[in-house]
Amino acid sequence: MMTDTLVGILAIGAMFFFMILRTPVGLAMLIVGFFGTWILSGYRSAGALLISETYSATSNYALTVMPLFILMGNLSSAAGFSRRLYEAAFAWVGWLRGGLASASVIGCAAFAAVSGSSVATAVTIGRVALPEMKRFGYSDSLSTGAIAAGGTLGFLIPPSTGFVIYAILTEESIGRLFMAGILPGLLLTGLFLSTIAIIVTLKPGQGPKGSLPDSANRLTALLRAAPLLAVIVISIGGIYLGVFTPVEAAGVGAVLVAGMAFAGRLITLREFGETLMQTVRTAAMLYLIIIGANVLNPFLALTHIPSTLGESLMGAGLGPYGALALVVVAYLFLGMFMDGLAMLVVTVPIVFPLLTGMGFDPIWLGVIIVILIEMGMITPPVGLNVFVVKSVAADVPIMSIFKGVFPFWIAMLICLILLVAFPSIVLLLPNSMFG
Amino acid sequence: MKPESSLARSRYLGRASKALAALSAVALVVMMSITFVGVVMRYAFNAPILGVNEIVQLMSVSMVMLALPYATQTDAHVRIDVLDGKIGRYGRLFGDILARLVGGYVLIVLVTRAWRRLADAFEYGDATNMLRLSLWPFYGLIVLGICLVILIFALQIIDLLRRGRSYDD
Amino acid sequence: EELKLADFLPATHPFQEKVWAVFANDVAERTNGEVTIRVYPGGELGPGPVEQYNRVVDGLAELAYALPGYTASNFPKLLLTELPGVITEETGTKAVLDNIDMLDEEFRRAQLIGYWSNGANLLFTAEKPVRSLEDIKGLKLRVPSRNAGLMVESWGATPVSMPVSEIYNSMQTGVIDGAMIDGTATFVFKLAEVTKYITTGMDSSISSFFLIMNKDAFADLTEEQQQAMLDAGRDLSFLANAQQLSDVEKGLEMFGNTEGKELIELSPEAVAEFNAASAPVLDAAIADAESQGIDARGFIDALAASK
Ligand code: NA
Ligand code: NA
Repeated sequence: MMTDTLVGILAIGAMFFFMILRTPVGLAMLIVGFFGTWILSGYRSAGALLISETYSATSNYALTVMPLFILMGNLSSAAGFSRRLYEAAFAWVGWLRGGLASASVIGCAAFAAVSGSSVATAVTIGRVALPEMKRFGYSDSLSTGAIAAGGTLGFLIPPSTGFVIYAILTEESIGRLFMAGILPGLLLTGLFLSTIAIIVTLKPGQGPKGSLPDSANRLTALLRAAPLLAVIVISIGGIYLGVFTPVEAAGVGAVLVAGMAFAGRLITLREFGETLMQTVRTAAMLYLIIIGANVLNPFLALTHIPSTLGESLMGAGLGPYGALALVVVAYLFLGMFMDGLAMLVVTVPIVFPLLTGMGFDPIWLGVIIVILIEMGMITPPVGLNVFVVKSVAADVPIMSIFKGVFPFWIAMLICLILLVAFPSIVLLLPNSMFG
Repeated sequence: MKPESSLARSRYLGRASKALAALSAVALVVMMSITFVGVVMRYAFNAPILGVNEIVQLMSVSMVMLALPYATQTDAHVRIDVLDGKIGRYGRLFGDILARLVGGYVLIVLVTRAWRRLADAFEYGDATNMLRLSLWPFYGLIVLGICLVILIFALQIIDLLRRGRSYDD
Repeated sequence: EELKLADFLPATHPFQEKVWAVFANDVAERTNGEVTIRVYPGGELGPGPVEQYNRVVDGLAELAYALPGYTASNFPKLLLTELPGVITEETGTKAVLDNIDMLDEEFRRAQLIGYWSNGANLLFTAEKPVRSLEDIKGLKLRVPSRNAGLMVESWGATPVSMPVSEIYNSMQTGVIDGAMIDGTATFVFKLAEVTKYITTGMDSSISSFFLIMNKDAFADLTEEQQQAMLDAGRDLSFLANAQQLSDVEKGLEMFGNTEGKELIELSPEAVAEFNAASAPVLDAAIADAESQGIDARGFIDALAASK
């Protein structure tokens, strides 16, 4: 077993080496996952891994919500709908310093209430919000940081893919977990807004203040934003009312935006084609990362690194809070390079019996783990949400985004500490609803 | 960088990857439309199209694979650029060649395995469950898309060696 | 030699301890420890049930737990067993194993180690109780396979296909009115939380599970080891079937005992209505298979004979 772990550690080192040497991250994960599996499990296994994961990642139905929402966002931009939405947002909250960044975080939280995925949340809001924040003079680090961090709310505010998988792994109730995610989700949204307030107080240039238009202008701006607001209400409302699933909401949303754009003569056929090309280019880039992660994860399972970590934790003989602290550190470490859902699948079976055996509440633990996974999504060097934001803000260096998310990362840490100190923030709603 | 001296950015290769990306865009439109039509059929006519998800899934495979060469040629892939300045001109050149060399090898393995799946799927008549759509053409798209990416990598390596510096220098 | 067994079930699923661990021990004992099995649960070697068959055919893992229904085009004959009334929950596993030679054609790409049938697919409904054929008319129901879709259609309901992971949300929000799925789904997929009624009693589709092995990996074993795997696999089949049925029972008992939930046992008259409606589906499927050159009638008769 020791040698497997050693291969794992060397492979992770090799992955960093490739990434530093400018290898695209998806390709670096693909390379390391392939050669690592070859060493541990043979050539047949490694070759099979490549084709299996390429096909299963690209043919994954649930993931198609991503290209469809990207398309909806791109079409909204091309037709000028997103601009109108942000002009309205700016008319209403732009007079506040950092107001558009706050509006974006609130937008993320609203979208998180219909999307189970952090990536979809960051892409959808980012696609609309980033160009507009740039136009209004916001700094790259604040705007991209707010979106990358705000996107992670998609995982915490129900519905959440993370909670569904946690529930399936631990036989806990999805309903309870969803209820448990609401207050922490609102708390974290509040902490993100406070973070923005602090940043713009310290550095006013990062999110400049606009003027306050009169109420007639504000109403006009709102009316001009109505079409896209209507699409959002239809998609969001449609999911809530059970008219369609999230993938269907994405498809319907994209068709509606395209229809409105053509009907209003806001887009030409040529522009529509260009929007499509831009969308598939972004999608191909994201899917390469997903394929890479899907190839890397089975390899990490073969190295037994997660289970080795768990066993040594068991043997250390710490008290409950000592063990919890170590688990948090382990997650922060794994979160640097591992994909969120994969981390859940690999670690929960180890961590769950360990910590619930020490007396921690299983529902509360689910929320803590989901927040830790969210933090991993914005921790360098492999931060899926940061890459997603990079994909819609091509001209911003990736380091600026990682710098920009750091204050929000701290906000998440504070959120964690608050939840450890006051578990009732998590448990209040599920206990009052389900008894 | 001088585009006219670049093999990887030559007009023919650009046309080929763009043509595939245009087909990828068609796959995306089909994906969007069939999802929409599926919802309408379910509500307006109470007649859901059984197997809409199979069409969406196969369109998703097509979309990704047909757009991958275009994304690669137009350099859309995400990289960590933190240490670009620190590793020097030759470090950047070495890194760019290494990534394409090793990555290209892994993709060659992928293509051979995809080809084997194609042959098997053809021989055994692999198909989707509900609609019984043949799978082999979609393995074929994986072969096609990845082959073009490998070709782009190969030409980029030649370019890089001829230039003696990375594309960013 | 350590063989990897890819398993998409969570590490906490009862199968880990009660089925895989027993099978792994059995194999080690029968081969004097020369062949060992390491289980990778929770989809560690690749998530979800859908791609497991391909993962073994390609050789990512030597062994995998999978459902033939996800690669239906490879198993037209085996999947006749999922048609209503062809096999029963209690005798299906033995009936298929007794006639496994008739399926050689379908196992050219992967070596069959174990086969077992599941509990029957029951009708889970979110809001509407189904006590007669009249009640099911017009309901939108998620079905696990094409054949189950034809069955549901014959009852007058509307079949909807979607991945198993989407059922919970879709039933909660009302995208679908219910689902045809086996009784363990009450707790494995948490469907009890979004289901008010489960209707049982009519002839229904019964899904199959199997444990398959990569052909080359199987060929790499000595003849004695191969025989040991097959013998252990036969024991596994019955063990897994018994475990699955006891989990179904546990799931339904829990459901029936929950306040506000009802387990509906159809009256004999209602059962007759349902079965009469779905009978033509079986005949049509047999005719369809026969037209493709498959000896469907012979297989189904053989299954019936070994009951
Ligand atoms: Na969410
Ligand atoms: Na990370």
